[in-house]
Formats: sequence, C-alpha cells, structure tokens
Amino acid sequence: MVVRDPDVKDGPLAGYDHGGFYCEMFGRNGLAHTADIRRRLNKLDSSGLRRRAKAAERELYNLGITFTVYAQAGAIDRILPFDVIPRVISAREWVQLESGVKQRVAAINLFLHDVYHDQKILKDNVVPADLVLGNDNYREEMHGVSVPKGAYVHICGTDIVRDGKGTFRVLEDNGRTPSGVSYVIENRHLMMRAFPDLSEGIAIRDVDEYGAQLMRTMQTVAPGGATDPTVVLLSPGKFNSAYFEHVFLAREMGAPLVEGQALVVENDKVYMRATSGLERVHVIYRRLNDDFLDPIAFNPESMLGVPGLFEAYRKGKVTLANAIGTGVADDKAVYAYLPRIIRYYLDQDPIIENVPTNICREPDGLKNTLDNLDQLVVKPVGESGGYGVVIGPRASKRQLAELRAKLKADPDNFISQPVVNLSVCPTLVGRAVEPRHVDLRPFALTGDSTWVLPGGLSRVALRRGSLIVNSSQGGGSKDTWVLA
Amino acid sequence: MPSLLARFAENIYWLGRYLERAENLSRILDINETYARDDAGGPSWRRVLDLYADTERFAANHETIDVHSVVWYYLFDRDNPSSIVNCIDLARENARSVRHLISTEMWTQVNVFRKELSEMRTTKVGVANLSGLCHQVIHGCQSFEGVAEGTFFRGEPWCFYQIGKYIERADQTTRILDMGYDRLSAGEGYSGAWVDWNVLLRSVCGYHAYRSRHPGVSNPHDIATFLLYDTEFPRAAALCVERITSRLQEIERRHMERRKPGVEAKRRELEFLLETGPGRELTPQSLHHYLDQIQIALAALSDEVGRAYFTGR
Repeated sequence: MVVRDPDVKDGPLAGYDHGGFYCEMFGRNGLAHTADIRRRLNKLDSSGLRRRAKAAERELYNLGITFTVYAQAGAIDRILPFDVIPRVISAREWVQLESGVKQRVAAINLFLHDVYHDQKILKDNVVPADLVLGNDNYREEMHGVSVPKGAYVHICGTDIVRDGKGTFRVLEDNGRTPSGVSYVIENRHLMMRAFPDLSEGIAIRDVDEYGAQLMRTMQTVAPGGATDPTVVLLSPGKFNSAYFEHVFLAREMGAPLVEGQALVVENDKVYMRATSGLERVHVIYRRLNDDFLDPIAFNPESMLGVPGLFEAYRKGKVTLANAIGTGVADDKAVYAYLPRIIRYYLDQDPIIENVPTNICREPDGLKNTLDNLDQLVVKPVGESGGYGVVIGPRASKRQLAELRAKLKADPDNFISQPVVNLSVCPTLVGRAVEPRHVDLRPFALTGDSTWVLPGGLSRVALRRGSLIVNSSQGGGSKDTWVLA
Repeated sequence: MPSLLARFAENIYWLGRYLERAENLSRILDINETYARDDAGGPSWRRVLDLYADTERFAANHETIDVHSVVWYYLFDRDNPSSIVNCIDLARENARSVRHLISTEMWTQVNVFRKELSEMRTTKVGVANLSGLCHQVIHGCQSFEGVAEGTFFRGEPWCFYQIGKYIERADQTTRILDMGYDRLSAGEGYSGAWVDWNVLLRSVCGYHAYRSRHPGVSNPHDIATFLLYDTEFPRAAALCVERITSRLQEIERRHMERRKPGVEAKRRELEFLLETGPGRELTPQSLHHYLDQIQIALAALSDEVGRAYFTGR
C-alpha cells in the first residue's frame, strides 16, 4: 500500500511514502499541526535541501560538535549525523509527554528512597525483593543515606517510542548519567541558521533554557547551610566520547569543568585545585559512573575518581547528581514493574504506558511468552545488560527451542515484549526523502520540583528499515520541535 | 566569576604559547629561505637547526640538510615535537580542554585552522611555495589572535593566555634577532647587508615601525636595540616583559594576595637584564650571550609561573 500525503503534489515530499508505519509528519493520513511545515518544506527544491544539509554538516565539524573515536590511525573526529527535517510534536502531545515524564521521575525517586531506607515496596511484595537487593546496580553502601530533597535522579532521560497506532510508550529509563542533551540545543541552533525560513512565524518552544535550569536544580540540592553553593561538572576527561557534551554543559551552566585529579577531599569536605589554592565544592554534577567515583569506596583501579568522595557524600558534605545507586531503578528487570511502582507510590495510572511486558516469573507472563515465542522479543534481566536478547520473528526453530527450555528452567531471568513498530519521520537520504524510524529522549531535571526540557533528543535510524537508533550503529539525530 | 582550575590555567597558558610559537617558527623559515636564496656560499638551513638546538635530533633521521628536509621537519613532521603542525595540534588540544573557558569563535578558529593545516601536509614543499605556506600559517595564528582580542572574556583565563603568549614571543624575538645579527654585522664589505636587515625587520613586521623610529641610514646596533627595548613595538622583548608584569599583577589582585616570591624573583631578573643590556660593546658574541641569558630567564619565569599557579596548592 502506498500512503501519500494528499496535500503534496510536488517538491521533496511528493514521492514520500511512509508505508504502514505511524509517521511523525503525516500521522496515518495527514496531520493538521504539521501542515504549515510540510508546505514550506515542499517549497525547497531537493538540491537546495541537500546543499543546506551539507553546509550544516560542515558547521558541525568546524564547531567541533564531534565525538572522538580512537583508532590505530590516531584520533578521528566523528559527528553525530544530523538530519535537517525536523521532528514535530504538537502542543497537545507534549502535555501528555511532559506530565508522563514527570510522573515517572517522581515514582522513580520515591522508589529509590524506599529501597535505600524502609523497603516497604519489597515488604509489600509489589516488586520482588531479590530482583532489587540482588541487582548488580543496587548499592548496599547507600542504605540509610539521605539525599537533599529526596532527589536521587536529578537528570533523567526517558526513552520514548511510538507504536504502530501512534501511542507513546516508554522503552527505557536512563537514570544514571543520561547523555545527548547537548545535541538537542546544538541541533536547534544549527537548524535556525540553516533553515530560518522553515520556522519563521511558527511558535516553537525554546530549548536554550536548559543550562540555567540545570544550574538552578543543582543549587537547590546543595548540602544544607551552603549559601551561594559552588557547583562543578565532573568529567572523565577529553578522551571520553561525550566530552563535547561535558564542555557544552559546563559552559551553559557557567560551572567549572573538572576531572578527578582537580578535586581533593580533606576532613570530609571536597575542594578543587584552583590557581588561588583549594576551594570548597558543594555540588558535583558527575558524568562518571558509580564505579569510578571513588577508588576507596568502589573500584580501586579507578584513576578518574576522587579518593574519599563517598565518605564526604555519605556525611552530606557534598551532593552528587545523580545520586549513587540509581542504576537499580533503570534496570530492565525493574522497568517491567514501573507501572506498578507508579500505582504503589502515586496511586495513579501511568500517563505513558510501558511497552507491554510479560514478566516471566509470573505464571500469566510465562504462559503468554511461551505461547507467542515466535512473535516476541525475549530479554534476560539481571546482570548482563543487552546480552542474550532473542528476537522471535528472526530466530530459527532451533534457537526458539533452546529459548523455550531456558525459559522453563529459569523463568525469573526473563521478560518478553512484542516487537514495536517504531514510528517514522521523513528523512533526507541522498537525493530522496524517505521514512526512517525515530525515538525520543526527553530530559527531566529534578531538585525541589521537576522541569522537563520541551522536546528532547530525536534519534533516527539512518539505515533503511533499521530500528536501532544508537549513534554507534548508524543513528543520527533531528531537531525536535514542540509547537507552542 | 567562578575560580579557575589550576590545570586549565596551564592549558590556556600553553594555548597562547603554542600559537605564538607556530607563528614565529613560520617567520623564521620564511626569513631563512630569503637569506638562503641570496647566499652565494650555499643555503644555510643548518642555522635554523642550531637556533632551536635541533641539529643532533635532525641528523638522527636525515642525511642531508637542505630546504626540503628542514622545512618539512619544521612545518609538517609529526615526529618533530615542535613542528608547526604539532604546535597547532597541541594548541587545539589545549583549546579543547578549556573550550568552556574560551569563546566559541576562538575554538572554531583553531579547530578549522588545525584541519586546514593537516590538509596542507599533502602539499609538496619547495622553494616556490614555502613563503606562501609560511604566510598561511602566520595568517591563521594572527586570525586567532584577532578573534581572541575581540571575544575572549577578560577574566583570569585571559591573563594566563597573555602571559603564555608574551613569554613565547619574547623568547622568539630574541631567537630571530640572534639568527640575523651575525649577518647584519658582517662588515661594510658585505654587499647584502641592507637586504638582510630589511628582511629581518619584515620578518617581525617591524620594517615600517623601525623606519619611522630610525629614519636614515640603519645600523645593526639600532636594529638590535629596537627589537629588544622599544616598548612601542609589539614584538619587542621589553614590551613583552611589561605585559607579562601587568598580567601577573592582575592575577595577584584577583587572588587578593601578595606576590609569589619565586615568580617575582624571576620577573625582576628579566627586567634587570633588559634594563642593563649586554653590558659591553655590542658584538655578535656579546649579543649572542646576552640573548641566551634572556632566554634562560624566560624559561625560569615560565617554570615559576607553573609552580605558583598550575599545581593547585
């Protein structure tokens, strides 16, 4: 079936066919809120579109908005490919997304406080205790440690997709050190320079506020008694692939960018080595994993961390954002329980649903999984991340038989989900505009309240038919427009 | 304004130094090419190697000393740590570390400049295009300087940028003078003398300034004095030291503390050297010795600045 836009007779979008997927620009057969943008896009001829796309790409290199890949031949600067056709979100859709993200972050923070204190949710058997306490990301050391404002996940990136019906669903929560927000802001700047005519007169929600909001959030979670707290951003250094983002955020916040060696702990207080000597630090926005933070408390091999940092943190002399031990909340195993976690703490239904998930440790979930094995994605939970995922429709009979045996032997270790037909967005590919699958990662900041950056990072799988949007596997990004 | 991390102060200092170094190295290659071309006794590329005490290191990997090998060595050789391409790489790496402290325009300029320079490596270097290549480098460095002048916030980072730049510039001016002076003073019988001082002055953009300062017939003594002591000439050693002094004082004001004794001692030593001069009649030998002393004092000052500000104690 060829599905074409009825409003479009010629121009770059004329041949565009979004197939059976939900399209962010067309919906199923035309969306009112994108009509203006489509019309303008179509006024550009294909070669003009390509020329401007090339100029935008060159600018990414010149501005050094790159991540560095270290290979034998030396350091190679790569850009995250940028697609010039924006992904558009209506004001009404954004209301749902924003409130849904806020709800989720609230539940996650309450959950983390609970599992590191009274563990009521485990005692009430809403979430199996072994799933949490036996989880690799559960940090024993955090038990009984209080954090300012009860905020554990100060910066949250929630990966959201749209299914074939156009319904938003959460695919994953990122509550450790989510990245990508710098692209949201840089993509907008790039877009405004390359295509000022596309957005002229259209009210689009601003994204420039992020740095200031992040700084304010960090200040509100400073240890008690600190007036005019000093906030720093702790980076693993310039060899980290996200270093550009660390620089970007430090600058947007107006905060010093530091590496581990620049910090020192004396009498449980944290100081930075400045030109004028040692200076007290109150809040650390850290872009370093838990393991590397403190060689005394965690991985003794870490050269990136600060000896004694955890002790200072435990005593409330410094705030870390995000808190230590948040990984237990964004784990695959716990993800499946998030709808119940939301109901448990907030007594509300989830505003954005999960992708439907069968929990195989439960009889119904196991039965559903075994009955539909060839149509489901089966994921092992617990320690080993993405390892061992089996995609039913692509698995051989033998693989399925093996999987069936494993499921029966150890159902606790698995969840299963249907294959989600991610929505698509028109994307410039060579000379043509073709549909490519996209996801969305909104960023939420939480101190004494939660603020969500309008829009978020739209990642796009540039390979035809691919559902994988990760930059390491041929993904790019788009500017995300939330209409006011 | 948030306080400046010691490590970043060091990065900014070296950002200033490496760009200044690349610019001056280009000037030296350019001027030497001109000398070498007029030299009946054969090209003297050895002189450049001597100037940077690179003769031994160079000999280890090269059989002949000629325009191609020496110029490649200083322009594009990745194995030479102080080649121009490496200087700009290092400048860019330092800039990358302090990207949050410098202006976006500064970062973009050095990032693009570095990329262009890497692409120039495929160029075959010869006498015909050497001057053009050198001027391209000089232009890149000067553009950075202009962008910095117009966009760099005048906080503590700026002070360290200026100190790095002027320490390097003072050092390089003395080297350029050293290289030219023996030829300048080669005696009246030497017919190429005026071409030489002309070239020397042009290589530091000092030709017209010098003419207006010293109209009429020139002599090597006046030229040396001009390059060392004329505080209205932006590349004169004395002007550089003046600028270093005022930036150091500004840092002390910002830190609300007394002078760092080590830094102060070395700074005064430099001032003293420039106030008293070589102390005897100017000959190529006495000047050479004197310039050496200045270079040693500059290196010592650089070390003290590092000890005082880059360790974070």
